[in-house]
Amino acid sequence: MSASPTTVLRQHAEAQYAAEIEALIAFDSRQRPPRWKMSPWAVATYLMGGKLENGVEISPKYIGNPRIIEIAVATLATDRALLLLGVPGTAKSWVSEHLAAAISGDSTLVVQGTAGTSEEALRYGWNYAHLLAKGPSLEAIVPSPVMRAMREGKIARIEELTRIPGEVQDSLISILSEKVLPIAELDDEVQAQKGFNIIATANDRDRGVNELSSALKRRFNTVVLPPPRTADEEVRIVQTRVAGMGRALELPGEVPALEEIRRIVTVFRELRGGATEDGKIKLKAPSSSMSTAEAISVITHGMSLAAHFGDGVMRGADLAAGMVGAIVKDPVQDRVAMLEYLETVVKERSGWKDLYRACRDVMN
Amino acid sequence: MSIHLFGIRHHGPGCARSLRRALLDLQPDCLLVEGPPEADGLVGFAGRAELAPPVALLLYAAAAPQRAVFYPFATYSPEWQALCHANAHGIPLRFCDLPQTHRLGEQPADESAEPDGVREDPLRWLAQAAGYGDTETWWDHLVEQRRDSLDLFEAVAEMMGAVRSAALETMTLREQRREAWMRTTIRAAEKEGFQRIAVVCGAWHVPALASMPSAKSDAELLKGLPKEKVAATWIPWSYGRLTFASGYGAGVVSPGWYHHVWEHGGAAGLYWLTDVAALLRKHDLDASSAQVIDAQRLAETLAALRGRPRAGLDELLEAVRAVFCQDNEVTLQLIRRELLVNDRLGEVPVDVPTVPLVQDVQAQQKRLRMPVRADTVPLELDLRQPAHLDKSILLHRLAMVGVDWGSRQVVRGKSGSFHEQWQLAWEPEFAIQLIEASVWGATLERAANGRAVERAAKSENLPELTALMEKVLLADLQAAVAPVMQRIQDAGAATPDPGFLLEAVGPLVDAIRYGNVRGTDTSALGQVAVGLIARACIALPFGARALADDAATVLLRQVAGGDSAIRRLQDQEQLAGWYETLDRVARSDQSHPLIAGRCARILIEQQQWASAEAARQLSLRSSRAVPPLVTAQWLEGFLDGGGTLLAHSDELWALVNDWLMAQSADAFIELLPLLRRSFAGFTGPERRQLAERAASSGPRGRVVAFAGDDDIDRERAMRVLPVLRTIFGGAAAQETP
Repeated sequence: MSASPTTVLRQHAEAQYAAEIEALIAFDSRQRPPRWKMSPWAVATYLMGGKLENGVEISPKYIGNPRIIEIAVATLATDRALLLLGVPGTAKSWVSEHLAAAISGDSTLVVQGTAGTSEEALRYGWNYAHLLAKGPSLEAIVPSPVMRAMREGKIARIEELTRIPGEVQDSLISILSEKVLPIAELDDEVQAQKGFNIIATANDRDRGVNELSSALKRRFNTVVLPPPRTADEEVRIVQTRVAGMGRALELPGEVPALEEIRRIVTVFRELRGGATEDGKIKLKAPSSSMSTAEAISVITHGMSLAAHFGDGVMRGADLAAGMVGAIVKDPVQDRVAMLEYLETVVKERSGWKDLYRACRDVMN
Repeated sequence: MSIHLFGIRHHGPGCARSLRRALLDLQPDCLLVEGPPEADGLVGFAGRAELAPPVALLLYAAAAPQRAVFYPFATYSPEWQALCHANAHGIPLRFCDLPQTHRLGEQPADESAEPDGVREDPLRWLAQAAGYGDTETWWDHLVEQRRDSLDLFEAVAEMMGAVRSAALETMTLREQRREAWMRTTIRAAEKEGFQRIAVVCGAWHVPALASMPSAKSDAELLKGLPKEKVAATWIPWSYGRLTFASGYGAGVVSPGWYHHVWEHGGAAGLYWLTDVAALLRKHDLDASSAQVIDAQRLAETLAALRGRPRAGLDELLEAVRAVFCQDNEVTLQLIRRELLVNDRLGEVPVDVPTVPLVQDVQAQQKRLRMPVRADTVPLELDLRQPAHLDKSILLHRLAMVGVDWGSRQVVRGKSGSFHEQWQLAWEPEFAIQLIEASVWGATLERAANGRAVERAAKSENLPELTALMEKVLLADLQAAVAPVMQRIQDAGAATPDPGFLLEAVGPLVDAIRYGNVRGTDTSALGQVAVGLIARACIALPFGARALADDAATVLLRQVAGGDSAIRRLQDQEQLAGWYETLDRVARSDQSHPLIAGRCARILIEQQQWASAEAARQLSLRSSRAVPPLVTAQWLEGFLDGGGTLLAHSDELWALVNDWLMAQSADAFIELLPLLRRSFAGFTGPERRQLAERAASSGPRGRVVAFAGDDDIDRERAMRVLPVLRTIFGGAAAQETP
């Protein structure tokens, strides 16, 4: 906790965008729900970006349909919980982190859902040394992030809700409907303070997920985050994020040209959609998800390659390794799909020769 | 004396409510409403319980009812509220638009050319400019909160003044004339001495009525208008036809939602969400009251977030999507169809002056308890029950006059010709068709009879006539039977083509069989059928000569169809005559080989020819002297569509097989291409069966069970054998491979 903010690898949203949050709070004169740092309108503005009337520029955190963010924020202002659904890499966790940061000023109350997530992670655990020494008491309880959020009236986040086993998921029902977490051992309970709510994210592509019970589903408002609608939108997302990450990772290289970003986004979109953007050539779609998030990491990878081993300007060769790695997840079928794509599309496209050669080199 | 202009939005519930309040405040002594003056006499019906909106004023040219105009009204149409107000308070109301007398006479082309720009719903454009998806929300936001309703309409007038001066479109002559007529009507009302005149018209027209030019210039504009005799009536309308999507220019996006807004005012959202929940439950989807509460809160929070005073349709739909539908578009479609449009049909009392035919149909619908509905309703009839028979007759008669209220469905899972299955869906346009049909008679029975006779008189084509006959019998049109039959006989005598005669027999035979079910007298019909068959028998031997190949192919089908129809008739005398005819055709060298081949096949199938005779014909037709193409065509006709028959009929198989086996090697090679051609028409499995039969055991081989394309799993196949043995006895097991 004492690490200086400039040396941490990745800052929390509330720290990275502290200036923007402060400006919004200062400017915001609308009514705030209890314990919210700012009004719903300001939260939506924080996510969608815009220019305040006093001239402060708010950077967009989510690029896409404003309807989605409006519903998400409005949901959190009621007492229903929010479920963000979408294929991997559609900024679910990103949106949930920023929502929590803007509403509660704290995005750290997170439960990461896995197959091994136990009830203790959602409710509370015990400090056994304390328990043995002094017997059961409130002090011996190790609160979960959800419990802390209830006490403090903040937003708790649950990542990958559908990976949590069904019976553990259902322990959320009483928390969500009665806003109470009973502690049977002490004949006590923790009552949620106003301002408490839960944002859960779930992936609807994953196999082997635990479908939500209908009792639990009923307590969530669902918002589906779609993949970017147009190539331009996706390019904008990648460009914004790459520029931000480049700063955070202190990469020496320049921010890559729009052209390079557009190329990566085009490759990913075409393979994901199974056809070229002009709709003229049908393609085999590889099994990998090729999300926007992966496009971003391919570019940062290329930037660091160019910075450390090249002249700092990102070229086709710097991208090829990361790109092939992101696309070819299955060594046989995806490889065939990629090779076909290279031969039929990339090779023919003017100005893409370098990318073609670099990819062929990587794949041989 | 004062004139008050109320610029309204057609079919706007908020606007209607404001207008109603304004009229109560103003207490006018005369109401002028934008609408056709020809319908003044029908105003009195508005407000009566029997006239339930949505309804429309239908105006049609008396001479040509298909040229018609509708003025639809929903309960929440401001014009409708004006009508109701006038009737409730005993105030004279006049329609003040340019009469349809002068408009229906114009070329119909002008109608469609009317541009639908800003003018249709100028408020919608303003709402869109203000960033709203829905005029009603914007109106709600901007207007409903205001207390003084008179001020509101002044504001609208001012707004329209601004829009009109900014609009670039030039006014069409018709538009200018309409406004001139409105001004003229206002002047007339003033002259009559009314003190407080309220004018209800589209918001667009308000500025034009506010500044009165000289009466003379208006009179100038209205000179030399065309004239046409026009009749008017009320007809039921539907919400589906009120939608923008149905092509109605002044339509609204979601009549169902507006209905809610009108019924429940400020609480519309909550009622609407309750309806959503009820609808979802009806379709077995989860929807609890808790979710309704949550959706309501979400919608309100969303509205607050967007800075709107109240949740509009946009917010409600988004809330429903997040709370009930798991953000799923499919469920939302259901809600769109059933709740946003909420198709319903209005009602019109029987005493509305209209043509007698429409009244007759309404009376029959009432008697048979068949209410008209806008959505599709299935109807299953068992014609053995008198009430069902009546319903069927009504539907068939309506179809005869062009009102396709019911569409016949194929009956599944029921045998017998006494079952009928229908899908009923009433379209508002049927009203016009009924009025149009009035020229044939004042009651449905008479009109249908008249229409049938007229169609018969116009038709020269025999199959068309017999098909008409079938319909006449289905619709139980006794009066039309004789004239149609006469036409059939006349046309039969004049038809040289045996094919047409044969084609005509089919529907007649069917009609005779239906007649038995429906208790109609079909003896006369039987005579017609017999007459047709006799003519066909005489004409066929000549008709089959000197035919082009295309024509022969058509005749082939007609002969096959006629054959099955004649056999269905089960009249031995006719059958004997028919076989005799076929025999003549089959033996004649001059008959087209395709037809001759087919006739020979029928005769063998029906055991009219001994195998020896058939074998003789076969070898005769394939002799060397006969041109190869002719042989090929004969074989084609002979084997056409008979692959399975050839494989299974021992007699036919032996005939063809013996003939083939008897050919010398050279002759066989010569015949081979022709055979290939004939056999090419068979399906794959048929060819395979034939080949297997040929391969299995020579001339007298028996057909082998068809084994399918895949290899048989012997082990699994063996397991069936004990069962088969139980069913067939011991022999079956040995025969199966």
